[in-house]
Amino acid sequence: MTREIRLNAFEMNCVAHQSPGLWRHPRDRSRDYKRLSYWIELVRTLERGLFDGLFIADVLGVYDVFGGDARAALTHAAQVPVNDPMMLVSAMAAATRHLGFGVTANLSFEAPYGFARRMSTLDHLTDGRIGWNIVTGYLDSAARGAGRDKQTAHDDRYDFADEYMEVVYKLWEGSWADDAVKDDAERNVFVDPSRVRKVKHQGEHLRLDALHLSEPSPQRTPVLYQAGTSPAGRNFAARHAECVFMSGPSTVVIAPRVAAIRANAVKLGRDPRGIVIFTMATAILAETDEEAREKYEDYKRYADFEGALTLLSGWTGVDFSKLDPDQVVEHVENEAGRTALENITRADPSRRWTVRQAAEHVCIGGIGPVFVGSPATVADQMERWIEATDIDGFNLCYAVRPETFVDVADLLVPELQRRGRYKKAYREGALRQKLFGGSARLQAPHVGASHRWS
Amino acid sequence: MTRQIHFNAFDMNCVGHQSPGLWAHPRDRSWQYKDLEYWTDLAKLLERGLFDGIFIADVLGVYDVYRGNLDTALRASAQIPVNEPMLLVPAMALVTEHLGFGVTASISFEHPYTFARRVSTLDHLTKGRAGWNIVTSYLESGARNIGLGGQSPHDDRYEVADEYMEVVYKLWEGSWTDDAVLRDRDRRIFTDPSKVRPIGHDGRFYKVPGVHLSEPSPQRTPLLYQAGASARGQRFAGEHAECVFVATPSKTVLKKSVAEIRRAVAAAGRDPRGVLIFNLQTIVVDETDEKAKAKYEEYRQYVDLDGALALGSGWMGIDFSAYGLDEPLRHIKTNAVQSSVDAFSTADPSKVWTVRELAEWIGIGGLGPILVGGPATVADALQEWVEETDVDGFNLAYAVTHETFADVVEHLVPELQRRGVYRTEYTPGTLREKLFGGGPRLPESHPAARHRNLDGVARQDRLAAE
Repeated sequence: MTREIRLNAFEMNCVAHQSPGLWRHPRDRSRDYKRLSYWIELVRTLERGLFDGLFIADVLGVYDVFGGDARAALTHAAQVPVNDPMMLVSAMAAATRHLGFGVTANLSFEAPYGFARRMSTLDHLTDGRIGWNIVTGYLDSAARGAGRDKQTAHDDRYDFADEYMEVVYKLWEGSWADDAVKDDAERNVFVDPSRVRKVKHQGEHLRLDALHLSEPSPQRTPVLYQAGTSPAGRNFAARHAECVFMSGPSTVVIAPRVAAIRANAVKLGRDPRGIVIFTMATAILAETDEEAREKYEDYKRYADFEGALTLLSGWTGVDFSKLDPDQVVEHVENEAGRTALENITRADPSRRWTVRQAAEHVCIGGIGPVFVGSPATVADQMERWIEATDIDGFNLCYAVRPETFVDVADLLVPELQRRGRYKKAYREGALRQKLFGGSARLQAPHVGASHRWS
Repeated sequence: MTRQIHFNAFDMNCVGHQSPGLWAHPRDRSWQYKDLEYWTDLAKLLERGLFDGIFIADVLGVYDVYRGNLDTALRASAQIPVNEPMLLVPAMALVTEHLGFGVTASISFEHPYTFARRVSTLDHLTKGRAGWNIVTSYLESGARNIGLGGQSPHDDRYEVADEYMEVVYKLWEGSWTDDAVLRDRDRRIFTDPSKVRPIGHDGRFYKVPGVHLSEPSPQRTPLLYQAGASARGQRFAGEHAECVFVATPSKTVLKKSVAEIRRAVAAAGRDPRGVLIFNLQTIVVDETDEKAKAKYEEYRQYVDLDGALALGSGWMGIDFSAYGLDEPLRHIKTNAVQSSVDAFSTADPSKVWTVRELAEWIGIGGLGPILVGGPATVADALQEWVEETDVDGFNLAYAVTHETFADVVEHLVPELQRRGVYRTEYTPGTLREKLFGGGPRLPESHPAARHRNLDGVARQDRLAAE
């Protein structure tokens, strides 16, 4: 049986996310990112297109690797200004019934106690449609923003992250029993105190001695996404992630990573197909191939080379302003995200990228592939990708906002439905149920479920 | 023009809020606090009633002073479970055009760098209707849990707060100029980098070198509320607050508090009449005095004395379970309790205030007074309060929700409008403009304005050092 293709919209509460320069396109509405109306209209489009979710990226620093300062990032609005992603959710939830919301939150800047309550609050308000993209941070400027001299070494971040996860699982799963809330007016008992207990944690990095402030929400633990694909990141994902998000330019680069994720899951006793894997991509659609190509060429006129290198520098930790545009990019080790640089160096030994080629690629849709064509052409390309890489679906970026997403909802989705590769209606229930069937709650052997107090 | 009366709705993302026990009333909806519709219904109702705003309380600890444990607070749902308040606002903003949102957030638990962005995001999304109730938390149990090794009792809370404010003012006021964002398609410049400055803050408690992540929002700095009642708190309020919130039980005490606050504002070099002061108040109003009294008696059946004492113990830092219900309060020799006794005695000098009396008082509407009556009776009382104490308005808690607010909107607001002491429509603009006239930004006399010219500040610091 052919598997259902999953689609997320990949967004960010900023002007230029993955397609620097396109804010200048006459039809682009990125300037409205500060307005509720933009996001409400977007989620209604996405729900019409039966998207699984809206996945909102975030970054807590400024892309100042390029040129050693923030000049380029500011000029091109490359992920700055950037607003808080979580603040959008309650309004978007009020305007939708089924769409899921994956929010990025960096666990290095807020203690687990307050953070756990924030996520529970969102899980309550959305009726169980919230997911958390677990991020440990990749910009030195973010670390400096929070008062540390520079970010901690790459692998230490994951040690800290593992402990953080333990604490939030205890809060979400182990503090309130399912039957704690009685709401018994006759006996004048709202909560049965014997069914609530404090979480006591004394670890290497974190301390806690309190109960969770929120009563149990539909999912308790939000759906867990993760995006780091270094070896340490992959282990972390195998342990915690229900959905994994990757980004790379070709099936050659992506396929081995998918295989590694699924293999790691098996080692930990998890179902390898129980992890939903998305890769980043951009779809440029029109009724015909020719019109789509024209659209793409039109978009490219607005692409910004320097903006693209600004993003690439931030992702890879390499200051591309110091390299000749026709120089081939070589791999170096640093504390930024590992795979970003591998994407254009070691991950595909048969392909060498010059700085110029990398920038041109990133200009639309970041490091992911761009599918250009009629609905049938794009659907073919997507199916080929899935077959070659064993991913479950795509995190779709925008070139022009909201046009790219409107085109997907109106042109691509009906084609996928016709092929029997896409749902025709949402399943009922929380986000976890929509993605996996089964329960709204984490189930064994997921490590989070082991903390549940029943 | 006759002096206008201001209303905020005082609420919290929990069950019962200031009236523990009333969740058991058949018409109370506070158990629905987890549903978005509960909040959007409320927001629409308040906007119909032309309220200034909804003021959402919060506390990051629990009420475990009473009996030394949490059992009472849990049973009575005394502010536990409690959800995060800021996340509610965008949904409420979506269904309203004018209502303001005052959100409580403690400086003790979130780094100013990420907090400043959260607030700017809110100010953008609400088109300038964001307010911040500045709190340094009062429940020790909250501090134990943040992984910061507990609030240090030796660090002066207000010294930390002063530096926190400096950081957020620099981010909100000083990092991006008004003309930084160009959106120049032809020259391919979204933001002029020369107009965005890193704040370069390196202080005793915080190090924040970089730029604010958000572009300037309509108000930049949100409307600032503050609720500290101690002398040090009043000084802090005098320096920073645009609206001050107090919870006093009587006109005598309120009059004194209002005068002290205005003095503190003047001492900080600001206009004492340019600050709005609100008292916590609960109103039970109905068509007639008789109906209102009957409603009030009905509510009283649900008062939970234990739940009330759990709140009171948390507020005053004393375990009331150590005393019998009929123990006169004047026998309990702590500062917090004694000043409460003095306060309540002015509310009703004929009473011998006991633990039971205190619990019954708190049981509906917390530490504030309750006004019961038909529209004319309550309007008379409110006008007296304003005339005799110089207070500007009231933070209205609920007995039963949303009924308490619906009653105010239906019965009381029209009466106040008839008397010319309540607005009949909203003025356009941001929350700050609606409350004070003037512009959307803080005036030059406010300490935030000092941080508008970061170069200027740096120069001053260098000169001072020489």
